[in-house]
Amino acid sequence: MTTEPTAVIHDIGYRHYDGVRLGRGRATLALGVQSLRGVFGLGRTTRAKIMPLLLVAIMLMPTVVSIGVMALAKQYVMPYPGYAIFMQAVIAVFLAAQSPYLVAPDLRFRVLPLYLSRPLTVTDYVLAKLTALAIALFGLLAVPLTIQFVGELLVDLPGPPHTGDYLGALGGAVLFALLLSTVSIALASFTPRRGLGVAVVIAFFMFTAAVSTTFFAVLSVSGRDSVAPWALLLNPFFLVDSVQSALFGTAPATGEGYPSGIASCAILLAVIALAVTGVLLRYRKAAS
Amino acid sequence: MTASATPCFATEGLTKRFPRVTALDDLTVAGGTGVTGLVGANGAGKSTLIKILLGLLSPNSGSASVLGLDTATQGFEIRRAVGYMPEHDCLPPDMSATEFVVHMAQMSGLPRTAARERAADTLRHVGLDEERYRPMGSYSTGMRQRVKLAQALVHDPKLVFLDEPTNGLDPQGRDEMLALIRRIGTEFGINVLVTSHLLGELERVCDHVIVIDGGRLLRSSAIREFTRAEQTIAVEVEEGQQRLAERLTAGGETVAAQGRLLTVQVAADDPGRTYDAVRDAVCDLGLSLLRLEQRRGRIEDVFKEPVA
Repeated sequence: MTTEPTAVIHDIGYRHYDGVRLGRGRATLALGVQSLRGVFGLGRTTRAKIMPLLLVAIMLMPTVVSIGVMALAKQYVMPYPGYAIFMQAVIAVFLAAQSPYLVAPDLRFRVLPLYLSRPLTVTDYVLAKLTALAIALFGLLAVPLTIQFVGELLVDLPGPPHTGDYLGALGGAVLFALLLSTVSIALASFTPRRGLGVAVVIAFFMFTAAVSTTFFAVLSVSGRDSVAPWALLLNPFFLVDSVQSALFGTAPATGEGYPSGIASCAILLAVIALAVTGVLLRYRKAAS
Repeated sequence: MTASATPCFATEGLTKRFPRVTALDDLTVAGGTGVTGLVGANGAGKSTLIKILLGLLSPNSGSASVLGLDTATQGFEIRRAVGYMPEHDCLPPDMSATEFVVHMAQMSGLPRTAARERAADTLRHVGLDEERYRPMGSYSTGMRQRVKLAQALVHDPKLVFLDEPTNGLDPQGRDEMLALIRRIGTEFGINVLVTSHLLGELERVCDHVIVIDGGRLLRSSAIREFTRAEQTIAVEVEEGQQRLAERLTAGGETVAAQGRLLTVQVAADDPGRTYDAVRDAVCDLGLSLLRLEQRRGRIEDVFKEPVA
């Protein structure tokens, strides 16, 4: 009796791929999703998860406190529109820590030519990276605001809920996301070194905050009250706040009021345009 | 056999000048199916040519096409259908090979599930096993080259550009890489354009070799043309090399000594005669035969012509 082999290993050799090939848009989307996950440390090492999760936790603290105060003291202590300004240091740290992660390694380890040898253009790449950071930042602001709003509705404060404030703050979060992410990516993309990128971005936010406060104080003391508010706009956080109050009618977080809503809007758009152009030019150069 | 009817790539009077150097100078060349070698010294214009063929760089004058697509206007379609392995390092150290190759497959337009499957398959074909789950920062040069090759093949391209794939490899790694390239061209059925500054290593794997220097075409020929021209066998014996040479010469063979090796020209009219003569001579003289191998004419010898 012959014994039949019960299992055979076949070397099936090389197999060609004849499945679907998606377009440029889907590749860009995949890059954006991968980048967005990476910003929060998902799909990365445990060490890379610590910083973003810590910052998310810090961002949620005022929300928890605020809901607690609303529940116990029945008071609306932390207005929604001022949340981003109140947390600006944490947001700056988040941007400084995460924006170089998005752009620096691809430059430093020269992965960019691999992207460009595929059906992706420089513009697609930049778009994916900018969108990923903008969505991340929007989420970082919108989630605590939304939790607080849900908390407010559940606590049922005396008087009508602050729906207008909440929606205005969400609109503001979109503006913060657009401005701060483009500026951060623009700054971070100029160096292939991640550490340097972190330093440059955090220095930018510290510098603008310091300069804006100093100029404002000096101008106010020297009696030039009409010019002083313009100095506030040097700080990107106050710039967005001024546009937020102009567009959505929220109370200015500084309590001082801003010079002109239209001018603020124009400055905001100009800065975003400048940052995006800078990034595109930088990548055109890197690609050649 | 030169380029087939539909060349994989072709250039026509291609010129590319950079501010300080002319990389390509009126280059007209075509590559057919199979494995095509592109040989030239460093700075001969090989990488520039590949970038133009990928549609990433536009030439100052002339035109180029890849798979029948114009590089100037259809770069996007070209990049869908070709793979590219750059000369330089391009691997982020904190990603694993699997993650990286899956990601690159998605960037080529493969859906996630297909990307995973293809990445696993491709990494297996290039010979990366368990280590593919480790961060690439810990890889040896040989492993890194394999990952670079895998990301160029993962989307099953019709043509791959391999820029100096044997760079930095030890002799064994070099042999393995060359064997892999040969398999890609034959077994996988993917056309290959492979560059190297070493002519000798390409002769083993290429069907066709293009030599450029200073951005100009030096020579473009099919490998068979030169192998037919000069067939030799190499013989190495432990002792008595001199006696063997004398015996063979006396028998009418053309023999030359190259160090410890004797190279014997195979008679073009009657190849069997030469092999028999060597066998009989070794037997009769009672020598210990160490090596007996077929040698193709070295391309290097053929190209050893005055460079214009």
